Amino acid sequence: MKANEASLRALMIRSQSGDKQAYSVLLSEAGNWLRRFFSYKIPADAVDDLVQDTLISVHRKLSSYDSSRAFLPWLAAIARYRWVDRLRQTYKHEASALDFDVAQEGHEDVVGARISIDRLLNYLPDGQADVIRMVKIEGLSVTEASEKSGQTESLVKVNIHRGLKKLAALIESE
Amino acid sequence: MMMNTAMQKQGFDISQLVDDLKPVRPLRTGKAVVVAVAITLALVASIIGLIGLRADVAAGLPDPMFLIRTGVLGLLGLATGHSVLSMATPSVGKHNLGWHWALGAALLFPAAGLILLTLGAEHQAFSMAKYGAECLRWSAAGALVTAIPMVYWLRQGAPTSPERAGWLTGLASGGLGAFAFNFHCTFNDIIYIGFWYGLAVAGCAVAGRLIVPSLIRW
Repeated sequence: MKANEASLRALMIRSQSGDKQAYSVLLSEAGNWLRRFFSYKIPADAVDDLVQDTLISVHRKLSSYDSSRAFLPWLAAIARYRWVDRLRQTYKHEASALDFDVAQEGHEDVVGARISIDRLLNYLPDGQADVIRMVKIEGLSVTEASEKSGQTESLVKVNIHRGLKKLAALIESE
Repeated sequence: MMMNTAMQKQGFDISQLVDDLKPVRPLRTGKAVVVAVAITLALVASIIGLIGLRADVAAGLPDPMFLIRTGVLGLLGLATGHSVLSMATPSVGKHNLGWHWALGAALLFPAAGLILLTLGAEHQAFSMAKYGAECLRWSAAGALVTAIPMVYWLRQGAPTSPERAGWLTGLASGGLGAFAFNFHCTFNDIIYIGFWYGLAVAGCAVAGRLIVPSLIRW
């Protein structure tokens, strides 16, 4: 059974009061939710690390959840922050293709659509979003992205830089 | 509960986090705003105690310009401060745009001052630089007093945009610092206000942008 907003929120409130059993369930369910949230938004081999980073941030910032508000938008804000942070890191990963064997599920509901990463990327001009997808998510090199997008290599770099900067400022945007 | 392979891989980390769980007190923006207002009022009282209250206010006959300036600076500090404090509790879809309007209203002072200056209006802005420097010093000192609890709050929370948090912390604390000093400042000249108060708030905003992000911990 997939955890929903109400059950996750209840688990979070109990976790904030120190209930370890509720916290264990919360982290597991949040981990599953995050895995769906991040799938196809980062190379498949990086999803586990990103989920773990996000859960550690959740742990460190447990008090930043205001129980009078919805839980998933809070979790999504933390997750988006971690995702943008990861994209901004200058790393080279070896995977060049997404793992299409992973079943895509999850964020098709209304709340999910509002807080998804796709929604965040939609704020960017196409030129920026396209090269971020190519280089930072699909793992293409700048040269390959340049050939595929028709942008010069220096424009690809500039668009990635500007796009990531914009994403960082838009994390809480719906 | 059935865990998938990936979650099993995570299991060790999760159990470590669970073991480390301590009860936490959720951050409440409302409470923080009350504390910020109390600190600002204490700051106003301190400035009045240290360097004195404007004579017209003390006499119960405040100049209209003082009232407008007080309102605009107070609104700027409060609206921006509220945005800073609520940044500690992030949420996708949360809008904190009240500070845009307050900043727009505050910008009317330098804008009006610039227009009058361009038109050649008489003013005291530069001939009274000694007092202007006093405005900068006291506003900056007041800003520091109000910025410290804001930064503390941000460190407890999870601001998703540390850079914006820095700008806003500087704006808010600069606005509140200038608000407090304004109770002493005797000048009602709009060019003077636009220049020196504008400089004080802008300087604090830049300082906030430069200093605060490095103090925020994730």
